Amino acid sequence: MGATHHVAADYFDGYSVVGLVAVVGVLFVAVAFGAGQLLRPTAPTPEKLLTYECGVDPVGEDWAHTQIRYYVYAFLYVIFAIDAIYLFPWATVFAADGFGGTTLVEMFVFIGFLAVGLLYAWKKGVLEWT
Amino acid sequence: MTSLVQSVDWVAVAPVLVTALTGLAVLVTDLFLAPRHKPLLGWVTIAGLALAALCLIPLTDGDRATFCLTTGDRQCSYVADHFALAVQLLVVGGALLTALLSVTTVRREALPAGEYWFLLLSSAAGAALLPASRDLATLIVALEVASLPAFALVGLRRGDRGSAEAALKFFLSSVVATAVSLLGVSFVYAATGSLHLDTVAGGLDDVDPRLNALAALGVVLTLVGFAFKLAAVPFHFWVPDSYVGAPLPVAAYLSVVGKSAGFSGLALVTVVAFRPYADTWGPALAVLAALTMTTGNVAALRQRPDQPASAVRLLAWSSVGQAGYLLVPLAAAGYHDDPEEMVGATVAYALMYAVVNLGAFAVVALVAENRPGHRLTDHRALFSRNPLAALTMGFFLLCLAGLPPGVIGLFAKVAVFRTAVDSGLGWLAVVMAVNVTIALYYYLKWTALLFATPTTATPTTTPAARATATTAPAAPTPGTATPGAPGQATAPTATGSTVAGSTATAAREPSVPASVPHPLTAAIALAAALGVALSGAPQLILRLASGTLF
Repeated sequence: MGATHHVAADYFDGYSVVGLVAVVGVLFVAVAFGAGQLLRPTAPTPEKLLTYECGVDPVGEDWAHTQIRYYVYAFLYVIFAIDAIYLFPWATVFAADGFGGTTLVEMFVFIGFLAVGLLYAWKKGVLEWT
Repeated sequence: MTSLVQSVDWVAVAPVLVTALTGLAVLVTDLFLAPRHKPLLGWVTIAGLALAALCLIPLTDGDRATFCLTTGDRQCSYVADHFALAVQLLVVGGALLTALLSVTTVRREALPAGEYWFLLLSSAAGAALLPASRDLATLIVALEVASLPAFALVGLRRGDRGSAEAALKFFLSSVVATAVSLLGVSFVYAATGSLHLDTVAGGLDDVDPRLNALAALGVVLTLVGFAFKLAAVPFHFWVPDSYVGAPLPVAAYLSVVGKSAGFSGLALVTVVAFRPYADTWGPALAVLAALTMTTGNVAALRQRPDQPASAVRLLAWSSVGQAGYLLVPLAAAGYHDDPEEMVGATVAYALMYAVVNLGAFAVVALVAENRPGHRLTDHRALFSRNPLAALTMGFFLLCLAGLPPGVIGLFAKVAVFRTAVDSGLGWLAVVMAVNVTIALYYYLKWTALLFATPTTATPTTTPAARATATTAPAAPTPGTATPGAPGQATAPTATGSTVAGSTATAAREPSVPASVPHPLTAAIALAAALGVALSGAPQLILRLASGTLF
């Protein structure tokens, strides 16, 4: 019990460095900006107050349209990205002892469900760009 | 080496599986179905849910378990004991009544049929899986399967800002609650090294003393996600807005099946998994119960009858109050030597509440056929327009209040009350008694409104009703099942000078909807029949309250 207690204490001591770095980081930003605020002269002109865009004057409004179709595609992508999360650990064990054929079939059941999702998207016309 | 593949008892999981597969079948069928055939999907859903209910019959022995580990202590992840079966009956039956209510709504509000029925069935499948799961991972997955489709169901009315806002509010607060729950589960796992409920109970018995605080915190945080689904105060903020914004059948569904997911999850984690920490969750649940019933009933008391959607809002707040009663036996379990004995009272109460609350929502839907405002004042003098609907509504309200002739409501309340007294929670029993009295006021006021004389109908509702009367499609369904012949306005209660007034009202308003949809009538009839049957033979559900279900 005493040994494990010691190990646990060491483990949490390791995190004190992380905490210290976080504190130093916050202090650094606060001191830099605070000092800048106190030391700099303020003489604003309209040009200085413009949004800085690589040296070019900003164009247009701050609201812009985004194509909603990208969103649907991103959504479909997420579905298939998540299937990879299941496929990778499965691929490492399904041939190991104690698993066997059932495990192989199970994954195809799972992929079958995803295929239904794709079928749904296809029939709803999501896969056509125009 | 022994096989690690867990065997599956297909009969045991049939109620859940049938519901889920029906949902999938409906979704795929919808893709290939011509629009004029879409109403078929509703009937497929109803048939699937009925089949799922039938699948419960071979399980009545309550001794099946499946998805068991093949090594070690052979813990099972799915157990079809009497607790699971009773809650599954509630869920499948509740979803069936909701589906009957929805048939008309889906057609009239032009909701996307395939998606609606698929989401309803998916959510029901999750809620049916929840009471049978015996490990924390399955519990959380079941909770989310029950919740995620519900967000979409609430927001399914296209172009309706109220519906979208309700769904967003419901979604954001629910996700936060689940995240907190998951954090709690991870703490419990860290302290005990297992997710199976029985092993967790064993592990919590002798937690490493340095992890005591972590385990206690994990226990409390895990309860949050389930308390949210039950709409226990302070996790109730989403309830009134979500119920009003959602299509009415979805509100009915959330108030019954959504709550069942909450209380069955709470019962499982507290009584089965976290039993050694009863001195932590017992007081927490007792305070939660007292807060929930008081807040729900006081807020229900403050509803103004002439506001839009006041009927739904009142039912929403009353459902918060009822959730408080559901929590009482669970809190009592924390103080009792034999906690499993207490849970039965919650299940019995929930079954009673499911029947009468769905019935009340169905009558609200019926009244909305003529006067779509969902106002309490729309129910004024319902007796003179449709005596049978008024009588059933009165019966449902009296059941909710716990007064005869709603015998079953009274007995279920007594069973809940007794658990509090038996386990020495005198103060909670007193709080509950006070709350039952508060609730009497608004339930009885609504009941009285049903039987009021028609002449006093507020003029604000009549133009709307008249507009509906003229615009309503005059498609008379032959053999409208709800009796209510024209000329009912000359009811026996109307005497002397009021007769003239009431006949005038009858001339302006249709005394009976142009066509009461059959599924709606069937839902009301089914709920009323169940309520009357239970009032005649309360032992049908009250025997759950005596003895252990696990």
